[in-house]
Amino acid sequence: MNVGQEFVKLVNVVKTYKKVTAVAGISLSINKGELVTFLGPSGCGKTTTLRLIAGLEVPDSGEIYINNILVSAPEKGVFVPPHKRGIGMVFQNYAVWPHMTVFENIAYGLKLQKLPKEEIARRVKEALDLVGLSGLGDRYPTQLSGGQQQRVALARALVTRPQLLLLDEPLSNLDAKLRERMRFEIRSLVKNLGLTAVYVTHDQAEALVISDRIVVMNHGKIEQVGKPEEVYRKPANRFVADFIGVANFIPVTVKKITENFQGIVVTEDGAIIRCTVSSRLRENDKAYLLIRPEDIILYKDSPPSENTLPVKVAHRVYLGNMNYYWLNYNEIEFRVQTSPDFEASEGEQVYAFLKPDKAIALPE
Amino acid sequence: MKRLGKGIVSIGEIMVFAVLMLYSLVFIIYPMLIVVVESFHDPKTQAFSLNNYIKFFTDAYYYQCLMNSIIAAILTILVTTLLGIPLAYILARYRLAGKTLYTALSLLPILLPPYVGAFAFIILFGKMGTINLLLMQSGLIKQPINFLYGLHGLVFVETVHLLPFIVLTASAGITQIDPSFEEAAEVAGASGLRRALTITLPLITPQYASGVFLVFSYVLGDWLTPLILGQKDYLATVAFLNLAYHFTDIERKYMGIIAAVLASLFSVAFLLFVRAYVERKSYAALSKGTTAEGRVIPISGAKKIVAYLYVFFIMVLVLLSPFVITIAAFSRRWILTPFPEYYTFENIRMLFIELPSYIQNTIVFSIVALLLAFPVALGTGYILTRTNIPGKNILDGIIASVLAIPGIMMGIGYLIGFDYPLPFLGESLSRIWLIMPLVLTARRLPYMTRTTHASFLQLEKSLEEAAMVSGASKLRTFFNITLPLILKGVFAGMILFLVMAIQEISSTIFLYRPGWETLPIGIYLQWNRGTEFGVPAAAAFILIVFTLILLLIFSKTGQKVMGGAFVAA
Repeated sequence: MNVGQEFVKLVNVVKTYKKVTAVAGISLSINKGELVTFLGPSGCGKTTTLRLIAGLEVPDSGEIYINNILVSAPEKGVFVPPHKRGIGMVFQNYAVWPHMTVFENIAYGLKLQKLPKEEIARRVKEALDLVGLSGLGDRYPTQLSGGQQQRVALARALVTRPQLLLLDEPLSNLDAKLRERMRFEIRSLVKNLGLTAVYVTHDQAEALVISDRIVVMNHGKIEQVGKPEEVYRKPANRFVADFIGVANFIPVTVKKITENFQGIVVTEDGAIIRCTVSSRLRENDKAYLLIRPEDIILYKDSPPSENTLPVKVAHRVYLGNMNYYWLNYNEIEFRVQTSPDFEASEGEQVYAFLKPDKAIALPE
Repeated sequence: MKRLGKGIVSIGEIMVFAVLMLYSLVFIIYPMLIVVVESFHDPKTQAFSLNNYIKFFTDAYYYQCLMNSIIAAILTILVTTLLGIPLAYILARYRLAGKTLYTALSLLPILLPPYVGAFAFIILFGKMGTINLLLMQSGLIKQPINFLYGLHGLVFVETVHLLPFIVLTASAGITQIDPSFEEAAEVAGASGLRRALTITLPLITPQYASGVFLVFSYVLGDWLTPLILGQKDYLATVAFLNLAYHFTDIERKYMGIIAAVLASLFSVAFLLFVRAYVERKSYAALSKGTTAEGRVIPISGAKKIVAYLYVFFIMVLVLLSPFVITIAAFSRRWILTPFPEYYTFENIRMLFIELPSYIQNTIVFSIVALLLAFPVALGTGYILTRTNIPGKNILDGIIASVLAIPGIMMGIGYLIGFDYPLPFLGESLSRIWLIMPLVLTARRLPYMTRTTHASFLQLEKSLEEAAMVSGASKLRTFFNITLPLILKGVFAGMILFLVMAIQEISSTIFLYRPGWETLPIGIYLQWNRGTEFGVPAAAAFILIVFTLILLLIFSKTGQKVMGGAFVAA
């Protein structure tokens, strides 16, 4: 398998429903063997984009390629229906057919391929073993738990050995414990089988755990595409920073930009902060300084002379392995995570040191 | 695959839509239209004119018929509302033992043939009926009381028959109300009757309105009940009598046509008015989720006794007619005596030996009608819920409009409209028995399309999409996934269709030829001939048995769809 080769390509794809634009001109490449997540709030167009790739929706304009074959191109009159796209898909509500047994559910796609009976039986058994449902082939879906139905849906999507696996919020209906375990299981399954997969979720923790790359979406547009650490550490804008992880923002003005996007910004009351500056910012631009709770060190006295803001403790939550503080700086609330040893009482004045290599100035 | 509007429509889907449109244009729109066109023909010159309408409205008699019908319809709405709303409220809100049974029984009257009720009430409440005879024998009265013959009797009989429309629609509405609305009213200090009047009832307006429409349009199109009660001066009755018995008198024929057109027109207008009213008030946002059962309040004490007494009173009213008909079917000489003189199987025997064709025709016509309606309902449900074909709403509208068209109008339309020799057969459709099932199909179609449509809507689309991504084409997906999963709902619709088809008389009475008589037509003919009541009662009894068998099957397959079939009107 040629990992790294372009496998799914979207070129300026647009989809509107009546007056609502669900997908507003998306272009994207997904490589062979890659697990890509579409992440965003509800209504951001992530599911619609997935359904466009599946062929369950028809785009208004733009082009979609799967394995170098043009599958959707309304302007050229091209539309390959879903059953001819060679995909496997797992739906949010599982969509396990209630009138068929587990075996029949999984065997359905193989029967359509007119495979011999023994071959079907062998591959269904393989698929059941793969998802950990060995021996449950004769059950009806109503006799299964939500987690088991989820696995049936997964087995059904995998059994036809699709070139592309699409997963639409597959874990959102499971309880928290199971959800966390299934993340790893799905990832290792996809990786072991060497599949290309697109995974839709609104859960940023899930996206960080599972993905090779994350596509952050909002209002039908792509905000950023990057590896999990990139979107977390180097968010393209305030929306991405806010959506992934906990983010503190301080309004600043860019004073100076030196090489490698390093620079100096000034807060509204004149404090000078060294940080990384987004490539989209110029000197004297208004900006937002992003600093994550774990990238702030609190001092009661003798703080470092640079990158330090005087703050007031609003309140504190003790979480066992850490202390979590809500702080006030010029009416701006921000959150800081410290070791459980650092103790400050409400109303106390402390100093917050913002790590210069972690703080980043972002455009609005 | 073709691009149409925003979606993808396959050639197969376009063909299905074309066939359905063709069907609804030929068998629904065309027959209605031809009667309307005919109504503008001058009786003598056949030229286009308004003369018929002018004559109808200036003739004091016909004008009175129109007014009588409207007054009867409005009075029936009032009485069914007064009796039905409390029942609906009790059944939907209070926890009573045997509630499911009461709910099922309260629907019985519309499922039983309407004329059955009329006959039963004559036996019981007629001038020489059981009640009057008992009262006279006991010396309480000297002269029999006129319970039935007149407007009051008509309203009485129609009320008992149509009560379910109000109960069904109103209780569906009450069940669907978000409990928090009522709870909010309680918190605000409104309790009991006040809450019911100010919060609950206004909220069920949309559902109740469709019930009101069904009552109005039924009374306006009912020709038989007035006739059985000895009344002729109603719109539908005068239309029937003029067209069935006086069609050689060209002027009376045209007055009959006008009467039928006006009955349809008022019914359609009323439907549009009801829809506009409901939409103007915009209740859409109110049907938020609630439990399937809705809010149920336990009651106790005097309230409980009153609730039970009221429910029993309605149950007695409802069960009276099937009970009386059953006795009449197995007895003779129930004339001038409060109770039958002797009991016998003779009526049933006569029916089976001398008139087996009544039973046979009823079954054959209804089943053929069902076989025709099945693909139409399935195709319509699919087109409406699974495609974006422009014009699908027109198809929906045409089929829904059938509910507003009185049976006589449809019967007349088929009679006039299909009286021309067909191209290949050399015979007109009106001379081929197939016209009987065809009219049954068109007339009862909404009962099946509504339930089928609801089943399509309830089916999770992802179940079909999962098949498509597994490699199944649209057609294969339909047969492997969609059809098996909606079959239960479709089946319930089929049963409902059969129940309504076997009792149909209003349209078929115009179309039957010797040898095509169904049970309802047989009942009418036997009654009209003035034979002893035993044989028509036996025929009615057989109809009731058929209905109950069908309902038994229905109760096994799911009653939930039924509410939808009527409420969605």
